[in-house]
Amino acid sequence: MPLDDEAVAAIYREHGPMLRRVVWRATSDANRVEDIVQEVILRVWRQAPEVDNLRAYLITTARHLIVDQHRASTRRPQQTALVDLPVDDADLDRALDQVLVEEALGRLQPAHRDVVRCLYYERLSIAETSTRLGTPEGTVKSRAYYAVRHLRAILDEMGVTR
Amino acid sequence: MTDESDGLHVLLGGYLLGGLSDADHSAFTEHLRTCAACQAELGQVSGLPRLLALAGPAGGPHLSPDAEGDAAAAPSVSDDEELPRLLSAVARRRQTRRRWFTAVAAAAAAVLFGAGLWLGPRLTAPPELPTTHVVAAPAPGSSVRVDVALVTRGWGTQLDLDCEDMPTSGQLTLYVIDRKGGSTAAASWRGTPTGYSQLTGATALRPNEIQRLEIRDGKGQVLASATT
Repeated sequence: MPLDDEAVAAIYREHGPMLRRVVWRATSDANRVEDIVQEVILRVWRQAPEVDNLRAYLITTARHLIVDQHRASTRRPQQTALVDLPVDDADLDRALDQVLVEEALGRLQPAHRDVVRCLYYERLSIAETSTRLGTPEGTVKSRAYYAVRHLRAILDEMGVTR
Repeated sequence: MTDESDGLHVLLGGYLLGGLSDADHSAFTEHLRTCAACQAELGQVSGLPRLLALAGPAGGPHLSPDAEGDAAAAPSVSDDEELPRLLSAVARRRQTRRRWFTAVAAAAAAVLFGAGLWLGPRLTAPPELPTTHVVAAPAPGSSVRVDVALVTRGWGTQLDLDCEDMPTSGQLTLYVIDRKGGSTAAASWRGTPTGYSQLTGATALRPNEIQRLEIRDGKGQVLASATT
């Protein structure tokens, strides 16, 4: 039924690039990224979930798939292990969360991203950030406010609810 | 909320990310003691600093201005090469999946909503738009299947069409007929090799002003019609 083709192709085009980045950075195995991404989409297509948030569902499925593959490769040491994979599931979860947070930062609009970088990562004050970005202090404050709200919403949408 | 408390409210961002001056910090801490809205909002976002800390000392590749491209980029893949492989896997595992369609439509709406989020400050889910579904009956001699969703919008009516078993070539047009019998084209598209198409049309008429919808082929022949 061509409906499926259309749906799968739409998902692949819409979410493929994001999944590829997440899987690649979580596994560092360029050869398997595309296989894993396609398998994720196939699984989700077969399960046909009734979900509001497909992105979060795809990411969760990718997480399970990577964990499964990781376990399988540790059971069969002769098989090429996924390179650079952390040792246990908790580490893997943290690595995936890291990737997702970085992905979320990438989805912030640039003006908000700059403010997060200056205030949080570079530990600049509002005044220093204002000078650095050439933006009035009041604007830095309101951007910080909206950056925080948007980041929370983006992470929620990706299924990172902590 | 007064202008003054609005000004304080916005300090939540700097309070969470760091960087407030001592004066602002005290002012916001004081404000927080009595402002239930800010307390609730802080509760929602208080997990962020710990998540941000995960993203490495510099916030990861998206935040380092120089490394934007390479470090974040997965191996590049051409959709044209890979999509057929995926679709042939779909063909191998194909099962009837009508329900899947609903999920995709819902997901598409979620994606649009997600995209809107970082363009605007609105954080609550948009209200469900009033929608009526109709199935267009095929005209005699025609086997087309058309589902139409009429979505009430501020500017008129959005017409979401799901068409199956359509002519595989030639132009197709959706006409909207109002209560006085006047007809206007609301969408036109081409037949596809699969005979399947999904599209959205628009009309200034409100749903209750629409008497009938017709899908006509290039010769003006009515293929299907629906009375609302």
